[in-house]
Amino acid sequence: MFTSKQMHLAQVFLKIFFRDRQSIIFNLLFPLIFMGVFVFFGGESEPINLGLVNNSSNTISQEFSELVEEEPLFNVTKGEESELKRQLFLGDQTAIIIIPESFNSIDETAEIKLLLDASQVRQIGSIKEAISKSLLSIERSLRNTQPMFMIKVEDVKSRPQRYVDFLLPGLLAFMLMNLSIAGSGFNIVEYRRRGILKRLFVTPIKPQDFIISIVVSRIVIVLMQLSVVLGLAILLLDIKIVGSLLSLYGMIVIGSFIFLCLGFSFGSIAKTQEAIRPIVTSFTFPQLILSGVFFPINSLPDMIQPIAHILPLSVIATGLRDIANDGVSLLMINLNTLGLLVWIILSFIVATKFFVWKEVAG
Amino acid sequence: MNIIEVKNLLKTYPLPGNKKDSFNAVDGITFNIRLGEVYGILGPNGAGKTTTLEMLEGLKDINGGSALIDGLDVSNNAFKIKEIIGVQLQANEYFESLNLSELLILFGKLYSNEINTKNLLEKVGLLTKESAKPKELSGGQKQRFSIACALVNNPKVLFLDEPTTGLDPQAKRNLWNLVRELNVGGMTIVLTTHNMEEAESLCDRIAIMDKGKLIAEDTPQGLIDEYASEPIQETVKGNLEDVFLALTDHRLRD
Repeated sequence: MFTSKQMHLAQVFLKIFFRDRQSIIFNLLFPLIFMGVFVFFGGESEPINLGLVNNSSNTISQEFSELVEEEPLFNVTKGEESELKRQLFLGDQTAIIIIPESFNSIDETAEIKLLLDASQVRQIGSIKEAISKSLLSIERSLRNTQPMFMIKVEDVKSRPQRYVDFLLPGLLAFMLMNLSIAGSGFNIVEYRRRGILKRLFVTPIKPQDFIISIVVSRIVIVLMQLSVVLGLAILLLDIKIVGSLLSLYGMIVIGSFIFLCLGFSFGSIAKTQEAIRPIVTSFTFPQLILSGVFFPINSLPDMIQPIAHILPLSVIATGLRDIANDGVSLLMINLNTLGLLVWIILSFIVATKFFVWKEVAG
Repeated sequence: MNIIEVKNLLKTYPLPGNKKDSFNAVDGITFNIRLGEVYGILGPNGAGKTTTLEMLEGLKDINGGSALIDGLDVSNNAFKIKEIIGVQLQANEYFESLNLSELLILFGKLYSNEINTKNLLEKVGLLTKESAKPKELSGGQKQRFSIACALVNNPKVLFLDEPTTGLDPQAKRNLWNLVRELNVGGMTIVLTTHNMEEAESLCDRIAIMDKGKLIAEDTPQGLIDEYASEPIQETVKGNLEDVFLALTDHRLRD
């Protein structure tokens, strides 16, 4: 299938990659750090630091403040209003509850003041909700009433899905995009700048020999690096791949091919080393946000969703997720495989149109 | 017998900043190179020397006229011609994590040749550098290594683009010796240079180019006889380069 010329050149590219220890380590470090961060800090929410000022001194307020302290959601500090306010300013407290003096009867509605630092916008919603929920259950226990409703969450797909399970396929897709584009786009620009392409061009090598050997060697590199991340995720994070590994690897190969082709196009368009970076960044960065790598595309604004769904990274991330999380086979035809097919053809056409040996080498 | 025949060779480029007009980087030049000679192309920067070589090497399209190498038209036999020529470019960088012997094997493979790296490296005096990386070489060693790379297919014609530019006198003379040895072995050599002494001592015939045109072509002595206005006063003590070499030792130091 491949000529010995192509195989030798592919081996050379592999050799070059594996001699660059630094890039191997940093290519792996990024996804591993990311997974680590989400696993160790993203899993369970920290208790909210809550200051409690009790201006009342009757038994009901006493009981109330004890119940607040028992609430596992809160990490309660009791104290004077002025001191706690100071701590709130410093960020040591997230919120302060002030029980008014008039808090003395369970039959009257008392106004409990909640002091917040409004600059912590992100948290206000969840804090308010958590506090009012807890206050409600405290009220119930004070009044000795039974709650009317209880919500029991049940997953229709009946499998435990954690955030890491969602994250991993997206992260793999993002990794393969970066590795592929670096392998074709950045390398071409670099080889051209240093005159290496020109030197190769005066030998009887054909453009397809060069392209095939880069594609083959890069796919091997992508498979190896992704296997390390996948292996660690399975071993350390207990991630289950529901679908077949064969389908998963098949999808990885297809994804690498698409991004290698696009990388060849970028490398051919970019005239300089300075130009290739912004070109690639403006391609990869929006996709990092829009392609459902870190959160589902459905959580994006409605207007953006149709665009987000057709991005190449979305198509591949979704494909990998379907296989890893839902056990879909690579051969199952759905809307996403259609998108995949379109991108394979499109990227290949664009690459062959832009990569002209004489122009790229010169 | 001519190994290279160039007739009315033309290369046009659009003028920078003005796409409608164009200028001729190589403006209809005609010359022949004989089998087994060392042929020098001289000229100031921008004269069109490198462009001429790159058209012969198949790196640049020919916009007019014709060029034959070993009877083959360059325009439509690109791959056949690449098999029989060796090229040393002005920029000579390589994949930097490969050592010399790995690079030579790679270049050999590109011609589907199995090569003896030791023989080649010995030929250019780099046998001890077999496992060195290109960036660990000095300027002269780098040039000799890129000649070694150009020899992997045992070419009929060797193109050298300013092979001694930037080299110290020792390295320069060492490279001249290498070129002479290759030429004695029967290889036709085409080189460009700014260095008159180099042209005079190495080349059998010289073409002088300026502004894309070939303005003179002859043997070095013939050119001197025709164009050098006054007979040179007898030189007794040589020149400053001889001083430099005497003081710093003739041995190659790199």
